[in-house]
Amino acid sequence: MMGQKVFGAKCTSCGTVSYPRHAVCPNCRAESFEDVEISGTGKVLTYTDVYALAIDYETRYLRLAIVELESGQRVTGQLLDDDPKLGKAVKTQIGVVREQGERQMYGFQFVPA
Amino acid sequence: MKPVYIAGAGMTKFGRSEWSLLQLASVASLAALHHADLGEIPVDGVVVANMGAARINRQTALGSALVDQLALYPAAAEAVENGPASGASAFKVGVQAIASGMADVVLVTGVERMRVVNGLEGTDFVASLSQPEVEYIYGVTLPSLAGMFARLFMDRFGVERKHLAMIAIKNHENATKNPYAHIQQTVTMEGILTAPEAVVNNPPIAEPLHMFDCCPVSDGAASIVLVSEEVAGKLGGPMVRVAGIGQATDTHAVHEREDPTDLKAVRIASEKAFAMAGAQPADVDVAELHDAFTILEIAESEAAGFFAKGEGHKALERGETKLDGTLPINPSGGLKAKGHPVGATGVAQLVELTWQLRGEAKERQIKDAKIGYACNFGGFGNNVVATVLRREA
Repeated sequence: MMGQKVFGAKCTSCGTVSYPRHAVCPNCRAESFEDVEISGTGKVLTYTDVYALAIDYETRYLRLAIVELESGQRVTGQLLDDDPKLGKAVKTQIGVVREQGERQMYGFQFVPA
Repeated sequence: MKPVYIAGAGMTKFGRSEWSLLQLASVASLAALHHADLGEIPVDGVVVANMGAARINRQTALGSALVDQLALYPAAAEAVENGPASGASAFKVGVQAIASGMADVVLVTGVERMRVVNGLEGTDFVASLSQPEVEYIYGVTLPSLAGMFARLFMDRFGVERKHLAMIAIKNHENATKNPYAHIQQTVTMEGILTAPEAVVNNPPIAEPLHMFDCCPVSDGAASIVLVSEEVAGKLGGPMVRVAGIGQATDTHAVHEREDPTDLKAVRIASEKAFAMAGAQPADVDVAELHDAFTILEIAESEAAGFFAKGEGHKALERGETKLDGTLPINPSGGLKAKGHPVGATGVAQLVELTWQLRGEAKERQIKDAKIGYACNFGGFGNNVVATVLRREA
């Protein structure tokens, strides 16, 4: 989606980027952060096709993954790949990952790099 | 700290129940109170463990509600919500009350009535424990976290689907010896994995996990009566001591863990519990692990210190964790087959250990069991309570 980004929190003291953000830096315990965009290419650490879905989804299953980005962060998101494999190169894009009534929630989708 | 003993234990049958939340809690509580046979000795406190009643049963303040049901006024009452670790957390609160000298008798009751809502709503209520901004919004549910964990763990350590099936087969077999278990049916390797019809019998839930890798959704309650040394002395009978409790947390989002296959909170909680008990994993005669998913029994058996990393499935293959093995795991049937009424589970694990240590486990009794260990695994491993019980006399 144009203009949609996902942000992590970069500690202004030690530079550690956390995703999700914490009130206190897990690395140095500082309490001040600046937003940094998280995106790019990475590798699939693990994935699943989940059929035990929560409310808000009408699909039969969701393909979810944890990806290790080259920038160092790990992120969870939806894997849009018909041939998923551990270690496969993917890149992030931003899309609607959940709809609650009228509310659309944006987040990571991973597509083959 | 003052010593704390378990004087009584009881539970309802797990499964689908027509009873209300409070009826379930009352029946389990009365079973434990009758087992303890307190006579005129008053109950000082009641701690109720529950995760979902505020949302799925539209009921809150369960501690005082249970005191009222049992007419235990003016006993102190509270409720503990700590995700799937609520049960052992409530137990810990009860133990602390007695260890501190503030109470002499505490009733701890875990209860959940979750089959009243449909599957989507039930799965969602548990999924609401996940990290809201970076997990829940993607449709993450507990089975999906377990599926992703399982795929990585199996890839790294050579665990195969047949090992997961062995856990299911063992725990279903154990459950047939437990009249309180939800599932009373044995399963076979052919039926759930190798025969052509296995794909129909055992559909995928969160690949590589299938239906028989996942615990059922259950209603139920379990209850324990904790007492001080003075009260235990008055009651006589078998003395089961709360030897050690350890608790640890880990990151909320699974992807933030340095090694997502390392159940760090299980490791730390267990180390603390064993240190407090002055015992080693090798001393344990019987263990109840939190096998909400079959892979977790293998991973927890390693993180708790019973087997080296990557060795849990090999010990399973050798039969060491069967009822007649060197370290029986989940004689009750585990969450897999006994059932998993979320708030009741941590208490039910300790009910089973109490019965085992008192020699009251009948068909599934482990001979001369003296030391028991339980792992109550909250979140997806972000809040773990480990408990060590010891038979003293």
